Amino acid sequence: MNDTAPVRLLLVDDEAALREPLGEYLSRQGFTVTQASSAAEARTFLRDHKADLVLLDIMMPGEDGLSFCRHLVEAQDLPVIFLTARGEATDRIVGLEIGADDYVVKPFEPRELVARIRSVLRRAARGVPAAPENEAFVFEGWTLDPLKRRLTDADGAVVAISSVEFRLLMAFLEHPRQVLDRDRLLDMVQGREAHLFDRAVDNQVSRLRRKIEVDSRNPQLIQTVWGGGYMLAADVKRVALEDE
Amino acid sequence: MKALLPRSLMGQMLLAVAVALLFVQSLSAFLVYSAQRDSYETGMLNVAAFRIVMETRGRDALRGAERPERAPFGGPRPRGFPLETTSSAPNTASEVRDGHAETKLGQILGEQSLKVERIVIVHRRLGDDKRASERFLAHARHHGMAREQMDEILGNHLIVVGVQLEGQDDWLVTRVLSPRAMNLLLSPLIFQTLGIYAVLMAAVTFILRRMTRPLAALTRRVEDFAVARDLDGQIPVSGPEDMQRLILAHNAMETRIVDLLDEKDVMLGAIGHDLKTPLAALRVRIESVEDDIERARMATTIEDIVRTLDDILSLARVGRPSDPLERTELSALVVSVVEEYEDMGEPVELGETCRMALELRPTWLRRALRNLIGNALRYGHTARVSLGKDGGQAVIVIEDDGPGIPDNSIESMMNPFTRGDPSRNSATGGAGLGLALARAIADQHGGSLTLANRHSAEGRVEGLTARLTIPLG
Repeated sequence: MNDTAPVRLLLVDDEAALREPLGEYLSRQGFTVTQASSAAEARTFLRDHKADLVLLDIMMPGEDGLSFCRHLVEAQDLPVIFLTARGEATDRIVGLEIGADDYVVKPFEPRELVARIRSVLRRAARGVPAAPENEAFVFEGWTLDPLKRRLTDADGAVVAISSVEFRLLMAFLEHPRQVLDRDRLLDMVQGREAHLFDRAVDNQVSRLRRKIEVDSRNPQLIQTVWGGGYMLAADVKRVALEDE
Repeated sequence: MKALLPRSLMGQMLLAVAVALLFVQSLSAFLVYSAQRDSYETGMLNVAAFRIVMETRGRDALRGAERPERAPFGGPRPRGFPLETTSSAPNTASEVRDGHAETKLGQILGEQSLKVERIVIVHRRLGDDKRASERFLAHARHHGMAREQMDEILGNHLIVVGVQLEGQDDWLVTRVLSPRAMNLLLSPLIFQTLGIYAVLMAAVTFILRRMTRPLAALTRRVEDFAVARDLDGQIPVSGPEDMQRLILAHNAMETRIVDLLDEKDVMLGAIGHDLKTPLAALRVRIESVEDDIERARMATTIEDIVRTLDDILSLARVGRPSDPLERTELSALVVSVVEEYEDMGEPVELGETCRMALELRPTWLRRALRNLIGNALRYGHTARVSLGKDGGQAVIVIEDDGPGIPDNSIESMMNPFTRGDPSRNSATGGAGLGLALARAIADQHGGSLTLANRHSAEGRVEGLTARLTIPLG
């Protein structure tokens, strides 16, 4: 997609003061940008045109971003990145649950938005499912809800993990009892954060161990494999989650 | 003494009513008792006077016209103890004379025109009077009276009346037993008094409970509302009309407060949205600034504005969080905040931690930790973070190696818009909301935030220690 036609973005935001400069900026970054000031306008556009990704403001008059997002994901199977003014967890979780691929909190750094757009498109191109299945991973008493990115211990207490740790753990959970070398892990963990590329995998693994190992100096769950790699030494069950 | 007095309205009113009632009823019982006693006494004295008058007059005392032809004189002998004539007064030296009764008897006899020289009246037990007891025992034996009954009667009260008539040396002595009813006077009176007392107190207690129960419910409600600030669990209208009106007024006030708070939240949300959108636009527009240094400065300024805006919005919302408590593993949360700073290349050290699960609001607590660690890094160059338990509390300690805070301004540092050294404001940035917000978040979790300077052995300030505690639940 880098060499062929430019990426087509649909930018939906009711605030012209943000939409217009952002559209110009993204155009300068090499995207083809179409602007829409409401969900209705965006629907009209999508009837006759195609887009590769939608940037969607959550709070808009008329049809709000959340319900339009549901339409986009279910009917059009389009990747969506939310633009939200609120940093609170609620919007984020709701947005991710109904299938948005990512979100940025206003005011965001434009370069970060570009990085996330590229990351979401890369994932979409690789065929990674945009919306995770509605099931949880259970291992050694731990439960990971991939939708909410929530890790809970045997007592049901939430254990905070960063988004990198989340993706690292997902990599292990999708390949239990397999040795994963550093390059493979790096490839699987590369997400939206641009600064992740230069960060050592070892460092992230040791952080993850701090959160889930009983004794992080003598790790049992994530074992180091001689010759370069790590392995999750636990059986993983997938358990369907009830809709809330 | 003061500690024993009841503090509640119910207790104080009950005590006051109980004391007043007890006083009034005792007084009335005493008056009833003395009036009855008085009338019995008069009766006894009349009997004594009758005997003496009889003795001194005989049947010839009646005038001719008053004496009917076939008057039934004679008849049975008077009951009780016969009159005795002695040469001395009947009282012993140790006995107390009843002056009141003596005066009264003097009046009765005076009305009968009997000239009396001296009167002596004493009270005795029947058993203590030699002559009366001898006579009684003879009578009792004659009738084969039971031992217990005899003992009881020997304990009965008796007045001994001695009268010396004018111009005579001898004394006329008569004995009158008090009527049985007089001995039984006290206990019915006490029962009656206590009965009335109990009924009155029950009525007062009932009324007071009707008044104070809704009052207590209202008090609990006000306390709950102060914490929860929502309309769940409003109390139903009950009690006397005054209480009902109070409850109605209170419920209406709660509704108004909640409306105001809702309005505030909506307004803050709108302010947040309306300010962040133009800021986002500005943030996009500065990308076209050619000069990298200038652009970076602009970006920093925008970040400062956003941070301050977030702090203000958070401080306004901290007392009424919309997100629920979540059972959270605290050490992972502390560690993840420390790691954020590590990723930014900041000198943060992680000390001892131990696993513990608590009910808390992770988004808020992260914010508090970020503010405290951010402050330590800004003013104290490094931050050492550790987590432990101390007496039912989770204790998060953040230490720095900075100059500390003058002891007298530690407290004011936690007020909103207060910063340390005023001259460093522009260099260090921030609106002075960090500590206020951290403390408010500690409050929100039922915990506390304290700041203290750390001193070296020589007494120099080595740095500042912030302790954030949260109850373990």
